[in-house]
Amino acid sequence: TASKCDCTLKLMFLSFGTWAVDKGNFKTCEQSAFCKRQRALKPGESPYRALLETMELTNTRLTLQLINDNNKVRLLLELYRLQGNITRVKINELKPLKPRYEVPDVLIREPTTEPLSVLSQDENGVVLSLGVESQRVIISARPFRLDIMEGSDVLMSLNSRGLLAFEHLRMRKDTQADPEAEKKEEADPTTKEEEEKVEDGMWEETFKSHTDSKPNGPSAVSLDFSLPGVEHVYGIPEHADTLRLKTTDNGDPYRLYNLDVFQYELYNPMALYGSVPVMVAHSAQRTTGIFWLNAAETWVDISSNTGSSETPQTDVRWISESGIIDIFIMLGPTPKDVFSQYASLTGTQSFPPLASLGYHQCRWNYNDQEDVKSVDAGFDEHDIPYDFIWLDIEHTDGKRYFTWDPHKFATPKEMLQGLMDKKRKMVAIVDPHIKVDGNYKIHNEIRSRGFYVKNKDGGDYEGWCWPGSASYPDFTRADMRAWWASMFAYDQYEGTMENLYTWNDMNEPSVFNGPEVTMHKDATHGAWEHRDIHNLYGLYVQMATAEGLIQRSGGVERPFVLTRAFFAGSQRLGAVWTGDNAAEWGHLKISIPMCLSMGLVGISFCGADIGGFFKSPSTELLVRWYQAGAYQPFYRAHAHVDTPRREPWLFGPENTALIREAVRQRYTLLPYWYQLFYRAHVTGEPVMRPLWVEYPQDLATFALEDEYLIGRDLLVHPVVEEGARGVTAYLPGKDEVWFDVHTFQKHNGAQNLYIPVTMSSIPVFQRGGSIIPRKLRVRRSSTCMEHDPYTLYVALNLQRTADGELYIDDGHTFNYEKKEFIYRKLTFANKVLSSVNLAPDAKFTTDSWIERIIVLGASKPSKVTLKTADGQEKQLEFDFDASMSVLTVRKPGMNAGADWTMTFQ
Amino acid sequence: MAAQVALRRQQAQEESEARDLRLLYPCTGIGGEAGIPQGSSISAGVPVSVSSSPAAACFDVFGSENQKDDKRFYRERKSFLCIDGSRMIPFEQVNDDYCDCEDGSDEPGTSACPRGRFYCTNLGFRPHYIPSSRVNDGICDCCDASDEYNSHARCQNTCWNLGQRERAYVEGQMRTLDEGLRLKQQLIEEGVLLWREKQAQLRELQQVAEDLQVKLEEHRRKKHEADRLKEQTLKALEAGDGGLIRHQNSSVASIFHLLDSNKDGSLTVDEIKAKVVLVHDEQRVLSEDEALALLDRGHRMDLSKFQSTLWDVLTRGDTVKIKDTQGAPGSLSSEDPHLKAADRAAEWEATNLKKVEEAYETVNMEIRYTYTLCPFNQVTQKSTAGVEVSLGMWGMWTGKPKNHYSQMVYENGEPCWQGGSRSTTVTLTCGTETALRSVKEPSKCQYIMDFQTPVACQPVLKQQGIHSEL
Repeated sequence: TASKCDCTLKLMFLSFGTWAVDKGNFKTCEQSAFCKRQRALKPGESPYRALLETMELTNTRLTLQLINDNNKVRLLLELYRLQGNITRVKINELKPLKPRYEVPDVLIREPTTEPLSVLSQDENGVVLSLGVESQRVIISARPFRLDIMEGSDVLMSLNSRGLLAFEHLRMRKDTQADPEAEKKEEADPTTKEEEEKVEDGMWEETFKSHTDSKPNGPSAVSLDFSLPGVEHVYGIPEHADTLRLKTTDNGDPYRLYNLDVFQYELYNPMALYGSVPVMVAHSAQRTTGIFWLNAAETWVDISSNTGSSETPQTDVRWISESGIIDIFIMLGPTPKDVFSQYASLTGTQSFPPLASLGYHQCRWNYNDQEDVKSVDAGFDEHDIPYDFIWLDIEHTDGKRYFTWDPHKFATPKEMLQGLMDKKRKMVAIVDPHIKVDGNYKIHNEIRSRGFYVKNKDGGDYEGWCWPGSASYPDFTRADMRAWWASMFAYDQYEGTMENLYTWNDMNEPSVFNGPEVTMHKDATHGAWEHRDIHNLYGLYVQMATAEGLIQRSGGVERPFVLTRAFFAGSQRLGAVWTGDNAAEWGHLKISIPMCLSMGLVGISFCGADIGGFFKSPSTELLVRWYQAGAYQPFYRAHAHVDTPRREPWLFGPENTALIREAVRQRYTLLPYWYQLFYRAHVTGEPVMRPLWVEYPQDLATFALEDEYLIGRDLLVHPVVEEGARGVTAYLPGKDEVWFDVHTFQKHNGAQNLYIPVTMSSIPVFQRGGSIIPRKLRVRRSSTCMEHDPYTLYVALNLQRTADGELYIDDGHTFNYEKKEFIYRKLTFANKVLSSVNLAPDAKFTTDSWIERIIVLGASKPSKVTLKTADGQEKQLEFDFDASMSVLTVRKPGMNAGADWTMTFQ
Repeated sequence: MAAQVALRRQQAQEESEARDLRLLYPCTGIGGEAGIPQGSSISAGVPVSVSSSPAAACFDVFGSENQKDDKRFYRERKSFLCIDGSRMIPFEQVNDDYCDCEDGSDEPGTSACPRGRFYCTNLGFRPHYIPSSRVNDGICDCCDASDEYNSHARCQNTCWNLGQRERAYVEGQMRTLDEGLRLKQQLIEEGVLLWREKQAQLRELQQVAEDLQVKLEEHRRKKHEADRLKEQTLKALEAGDGGLIRHQNSSVASIFHLLDSNKDGSLTVDEIKAKVVLVHDEQRVLSEDEALALLDRGHRMDLSKFQSTLWDVLTRGDTVKIKDTQGAPGSLSSEDPHLKAADRAAEWEATNLKKVEEAYETVNMEIRYTYTLCPFNQVTQKSTAGVEVSLGMWGMWTGKPKNHYSQMVYENGEPCWQGGSRSTTVTLTCGTETALRSVKEPSKCQYIMDFQTPVACQPVLKQQGIHSEL
């Protein structure tokens, strides 16, 4: 949305009157007491020592105590070897004053462990075998340090710079200290000295007009990682920054703290709406990943020796405000190994309904039912396909979610039926802030059940948001989430039908009058402070909502829920967008690295508001955005309420035609998008991926962020510059050939190709060696295309082979889990194209057939023969374009689910 | 049939495309109940070539009045030339659910061609074209259901009902138009009469004006003199009103002149004694010494000195004031009945403030606006709370060249907080009453109004009519 807050807006105008983010509203590391404290630590002075004599090793679990020699506080280290080449390291206080928060509900299950064994041990340390591939962990005792080795190579070191820090929970000095502790302090004067060093911000912290009471005192945790041989690190979204993360030596660390940032600025490490504490490190030799499982405010420092003569090395340091250290070291070695390792921990991308991969038309706001009807009709009149029309906050009765404005949306079912008649759908917003209003059923129920988040004094937490005074349900509670889910039942959420889906906005959570526009850290969720769970809140909102959509259909239908805030694991729940961007070329450009970064850490279903949310785009920018967005996973246009209308047909027939063409290209490729999402759902591989994922040894690809791959086979270099006359695309792979998908022109790999562009150009290339299915009969909506025939684009490589896949199911239910789908392998080799069943135990039938086969880079056959499963053969007509070497086989006609072979003689 | 098509095309190149297509595919709703057969040796659901299907017969039936001719062409030519002339294909490939022609002309009855069109015959209603992408998409587009001959949709033939409704609507429209035109004619006649009347009046007035012109010259001279006198009088009058001191802007000079009885440009002790009294003892005449003090111990005081000394004392109003005035500056009586009333009102307001505030939100939700269009003047929006906002001042006619006076724009209304100002586009439609039919605000501060009036009725509309094929 909706987003942003009117009151912040007004403040903005009062104080600055400018259109950029007001940085003063958000903390720098210096202004965040724990970050300042931790960042001040000097490397090379680690007080931690491993007490080897405390080591215990069961088959799969190693435990060991660490001691801080300055204050004698002991920590417990746990080390696990997990299935799939993952090492887990957990560090907690041995005896904390009270339990410290450990993040639940993010891991899909307790990870499967594998055996560990001791290789050698002496007074300086222990060497453990990690099983496969001569991988070892060396635990050094003084100072404590952990090295993961493969052969003689160090893959990663922990605490090698000595920046491990674990602020133990303690009694406040002005309270009665326990006599035992006092005795200890007397015995050890150095301890006492350390203990008494109370800094500002340990027990209370004030930012702007907000005071954080910090009843638990300091509780930060921090650890450093060294990555020898690594010059490129990625991930830790969400930041409006380059794909390749920058070093942070000369500025703030990257911040992970879900915030509703008004008019965010590009190319800086400020926190945004979501957080995934996962970093991917890549070099030509290896790809690894670090998953820092902590939901509190987190800062990540990156430094590098790049440019010096030494072996390249990147050093990373994570700092979190509370919780424990719980890290998963994913050892690759390939990018796809890291994706599957991370997927084995937090799950894969949810498999979205096919329709949600179509085009979405959104605006804050479509004013009433008549407005919805006329926009819907506009798409038909201008012959532009779309699947979803969206309603922002104004559709509700006074910002009371789960209700409809009685005047503007008096008969929602009638409206939804109208859309259903055209096989289209709708999304209505449901935000997590609940209007405090005694006449509002949802509020009364939540309050009477005690489901609201509590303020530090134990009352229901209240903040200011769209409805005015609002409270926030405690989504960390399973019983609260179950209740919330039940509210989506058709008899609870009145006026809804099965073609209505949901959008969760403002779930950072956004609190207009809260510190940094979010919830007070000393608010409580049962036993835990908001401080502990902050970055998880948005995930839980989407979790409860998605569950509601599943339940209302009796578990049959796949949900579609869009969220703005997210965390590790959010990929399991739906789609994410990059929040409230602006109608500027820079924002169009950055949508690529922002979505690539999310894809690397599991979240494939990502998109940016087409056209830009704030401000009004020039016609050129709007057209270019439609073109770029057609090749990004989540394809939705959205606009701020104060901007002029911008439905695709409002910019003259020429631009309408350009936008229509971009959207049509999207729709022809829906079979490919859909099967890539199926793959992402099964494997965790990103749908939209940086080139280096497929060309991991090609250094030229490591920092590319103006082009990317969709799956493995389509390379996209959208035009994102104003007035562009051409773009230069890097085509990777020295043994590859690439075919321009529009002209079928063939280009060699491993070259920078200059492509002249006009307003209609969207530079896209298909990799030689691939087969991509398309549906060329573009209709009003994706659902209308369900039974349509396929055209297979077979692009031959230098070896004159190609392969691809074809996945088909009903497009919207969970029946694929019951093996109701068609999954076929398409192969071209030795002049034979064949379709083989990849899932013989799966059952599904389709009306769709193969209407055309286009072979790129072909030579002219004398005849083409189709042989079907029943043994029948028939000659097929074909057409050969000698100038472009394109062979078109006319109407082979076999069913898309059948076995067949086609011979080109 | 295709041969006939090709021949026709050659014979009548100059025919318009639309007409062409109508002639070529009068039966493009191929199938209807007959449908394209689904059985084929390869796969169910794949439409096969037209040669083995009733579709060919369909062409024969609808293609021409002379079926024998059709068959002769068909036998002779056996091929089909794409309408754009780009390609010749076997006739079997017409309507075989595979797109051969760039222009889509070989698949008038299927969804195979991206640029194709499908002809809904819609007997009983209006025939029209739909994009071929809407053929067999599961949505009923043609009222005769002919577009969904091979889909899961169960379409009813609704043409007759639609036709009925359409005809009733058209009749209603015609009546409206007749009535509208009559009213418009009436308005025009009234207008002409009024114009003539005004013309006559104008002529009279012009005569009168000429006479007056003469007198005017004389009066101008007199007026000039009178003005000069009036100005003096006014000054004197202003000066005589001591209450003016209360106004910060009242002139120092006028007070000075009031005090300066002999108008010699300076104040003397006598002049002060004559006009100034003590605030707390208005009856007593000031002593020489007191007057002298007010003159700052000088015997004469000019205007500039007055401004920097005595003027301040007078405006402060706590010691001396000008005689015979209704109360010194800043000393309003608390007994003033108006004040008392105001106090009571304020008190009442205060006690009700809370209620009003509480009600505000509800009221805010319920606010409905009243829109007013004053043609060639402005558009306004009035909330139920009575707040009036300008949505634009008369700008210009913005209708398309063909119908220039069908739309007008009002611009430069009240500014919007995000910049720019409110504007309103008014579309005029024919109706028997003059009234605003609808108001929308599709984007912030941009309004669209539908304004119905007989004035917008155009006789040309009537001739167009809407014919039905029965």
